[in-house]
Amino acid sequence: MSAPRAEMVLGVDTSLGTPTRLALWLTGCLALTVLLTVGSLFTGTSSIATSWHWLLAPDAQSSLVLWQIRLPRTLGAWCVGALLGLCGATAQGLFRNPLAEPYLLGTASGAALGVAISLIAVDSTIVELAWAGKLGMTCAACIGAGAATALTIALSRGVLQTTSLLLAGIVVASVLGAATSLILLTKPEIFRAMQTFLLGSTAFLSWASVGWVGGVLCLCLVPAIGLSRGLDALTLGEDTAQSLGLSLPLIRIALLGMMSLGTATTVGQVGIVMFVGLMAPHLVRETLAVNHRQLLVAAPLCGGALLQAADLLSRWIVRPAELPVGAVTALVGGAYLVFSLWRRNRDA
Amino acid sequence: MSRSWAAAIVSAAAFLVGLARVAPCFADDGFVLRDDLKRDIAFAHPARRIITLLPSLTETVCALDACDRLVATDRYSNWPLQVGALPKAGGLDDAAVELIVSLRPDLVLLSRSQRITGRLEELGIRTFTLNTESYADIGRNIEIIGRILGETARAAALEHALAAELHEIGVEAAARRHGQGPTVYFEVDRAPYAAGPESFIGELLTMLGARNIVTADLGPFPKLNPEYVVRRNPDVIFVSSQEAPLLAERPGWGDIRAVKERRLCSFPSAVSDTIVRPGPRVDAGMRALADCLERVAP
Amino acid sequence: MLETPPPSAAGPSPALSCVHLCMGYGVRRVLDDISLEFSAGTWSAVVGPNGCGKSTLLRALAGLRRPLSGSIVLQGRELSLWSRRERARRLAWLAQDSTGTDLTGVEVVGLGRFAHGGWLGARQGTDDAAIRHAMRATGSLASAQRRVSTLSGGERQRVYLARALAVEAPVLLLDEPTTHLDPPHQEDVIRLLRDQAHGCRVCVVSAIHDLSLALAADRLIVMGRSGLIGHGTVAETLAGDWLSAAFETPIHVVDDNGTRLWRPSLQPA
Repeated sequence: MSAPRAEMVLGVDTSLGTPTRLALWLTGCLALTVLLTVGSLFTGTSSIATSWHWLLAPDAQSSLVLWQIRLPRTLGAWCVGALLGLCGATAQGLFRNPLAEPYLLGTASGAALGVAISLIAVDSTIVELAWAGKLGMTCAACIGAGAATALTIALSRGVLQTTSLLLAGIVVASVLGAATSLILLTKPEIFRAMQTFLLGSTAFLSWASVGWVGGVLCLCLVPAIGLSRGLDALTLGEDTAQSLGLSLPLIRIALLGMMSLGTATTVGQVGIVMFVGLMAPHLVRETLAVNHRQLLVAAPLCGGALLQAADLLSRWIVRPAELPVGAVTALVGGAYLVFSLWRRNRDA
Repeated sequence: MSRSWAAAIVSAAAFLVGLARVAPCFADDGFVLRDDLKRDIAFAHPARRIITLLPSLTETVCALDACDRLVATDRYSNWPLQVGALPKAGGLDDAAVELIVSLRPDLVLLSRSQRITGRLEELGIRTFTLNTESYADIGRNIEIIGRILGETARAAALEHALAAELHEIGVEAAARRHGQGPTVYFEVDRAPYAAGPESFIGELLTMLGARNIVTADLGPFPKLNPEYVVRRNPDVIFVSSQEAPLLAERPGWGDIRAVKERRLCSFPSAVSDTIVRPGPRVDAGMRALADCLERVAP
Repeated sequence: MLETPPPSAAGPSPALSCVHLCMGYGVRRVLDDISLEFSAGTWSAVVGPNGCGKSTLLRALAGLRRPLSGSIVLQGRELSLWSRRERARRLAWLAQDSTGTDLTGVEVVGLGRFAHGGWLGARQGTDDAAIRHAMRATGSLASAQRRVSTLSGGERQRVYLARALAVEAPVLLLDEPTTHLDPPHQEDVIRLLRDQAHGCRVCVVSAIHDLSLALAADRLIVMGRSGLIGHGTVAETLAGDWLSAAFETPIHVVDDNGTRLWRPSLQPA
């Protein structure tokens, strides 16, 4: 029944093949990140030659552009992409659905509504909205996202059922989306600002942003990796996971809270960036066999590199103008999904 | 003899009847105008019941003293004050078709919007499309609307007055200027979207002698890389009042001359309406721009 | 919530028992006033037609569904009084439907040690030994490095069975453990369950569809559409002809050299 060869495999190291491939993958991601960071220093409104010249012979203005604008922007993009990748991988594990992504609890619509309210509040005569105007877009987006998630959880009556959470998320997204559209109708001059927000923009990421998002990323990694074994257990089914001693409400509350915090932070900083949270975990799983602890380390690295690349492209293609980064990720994400489907049909 | 007289009388009568048929074309008030969709619109008489679906067109009609002929406007028209009492027929892309039809207008004046034009034409409402994008459009539209209203003299006078006013503002600005005009950046939106020299706003700024940091090849409203603005280091920045205090927080922007020296121009919405609408109040808009430039330019 | 079991009373107390158990959804009663005892070192098989409540009973015993009334007692204490962790160490469960997972075989079996190791999953020597033992016993060592979603139904079932064994719990509840398995592997499972019960003194309770396999158990719990028909040794079951009552059709059991087999009647009804 048991071949000696198999026992030897079991005896030496229970996962002999996997770490080597994983280590290669992680190293590759990190190398790509370094490459993209360097490339980002050369991309923008100046030619590559000019940028190279700046590095060699810096002056006040070029230093400003390189170190205060380009470097924090690319590092900020990495942090946001990593956070999105982490939240996406967590969502897919928690809901056991490969199509889950960070915005599925109505975060995106909540953030959009928050931004819309803060934009109209400025000129408005309604006293109650005055405070909203003072908040600024970042805060308003964050609060809106958090409120929407809370509403979703409340609507699904606690964290008992996965299906009702997903349904509640859809309902909240629709209702808040309708509310946002109504606001846009009454004050169309905010339309362009809203559109930019909805398409995502890494244009104003500063060192402060890097600090914020990096801090939240570290904070979110703790519960994610700590509960990763619980996510593994969940893949066997909820009953089996419960029988193993997993507390379903605990893992749900902890991970949902982490997801809301992470997603709300990214939305506040860059608006809505589609597909990064969906693609990063997929890319990892397509190439590696990983358990959740490995996934929750690899997916952020992948997501970070993805968004960095998108940010670079958005600045390079129509320089000195730039594309909204969310449009670039949507295009790339769409292409990836089409390719993925094609490959699945071919193999089927 | 009597037969030939009868034939003459009958043919004369036929001729007169025929003449009466085509008489409207030769009546005093009849005319044909071509709109900006290249259609020839025939008018039997100047329009008497008008609906406008764009604020600049509303303002033009009222500037020609024909406000009483308006039966409805779009929801964004807010000048002069009396149009506030008129029924609102929605925006441009979501016009209230039922309301428009129920008011039985002679003519609907609007800008390009294929959906509404087609729908209204189907329902038998006459529409007239006008381009309202550039500075040159202002004069042209005043003249055409003048003809539609039958107020050609008044229209010509308005055009001349407007042109003279703008010319004077330009001359004043040139006189106040020392050397080259200041470099300016006009932010339309936070993204940042800028107004390029090809846009209407850009044209006003050029007429004031300001130099736009955005080059013409980028288009009328390009979405810029923020480092572009940092590198061009404009002397003056036009920005919305809520963004003005936040400019220094944008990475690298604290070093821009306009931000460091607080050379920022913001306008309340009543004033910015005159700047962004290519209509008869463009002189007020240009004056607002000129005043601010004089105040803050180096 | 105490972590240690109370001192045992005089006489062997059952490892697991249910007292006046009622299960249902809304007004529908699936189980009505069931009282059963399961001792350590015995293998009890729950048999009955589809829909009679076998799975419901097992889920209730495992603490996965809350009963309408009645209680479950595990090793002398009410189920709800055990801490989650302690309960997980003392009661292992094998589900009927196995969802595919992307984890490798050895990782799945390793999850059986969840309640012993905890969240961070640092594996100790005892964990490795338990995993190896469980995989050898179920013949799933070959699937150790392969992703479970790529395994065949039978291989997958053996990995999941190994996972349940890796818990090393004194009570083992299995819902249809022989599904998808080829006859040789079904044999292995039956032998394994007997060995667990008689050799390791585990209290094994299983729901088994296949009558011939179920007849290899020590005790039978026979359930019918109307509820519990009877429970006892195999001999008592046959004497009372409970099987025929449960399935509402004559069930013939023959004795073949000490092994009891169900002989299907091939005559037209």
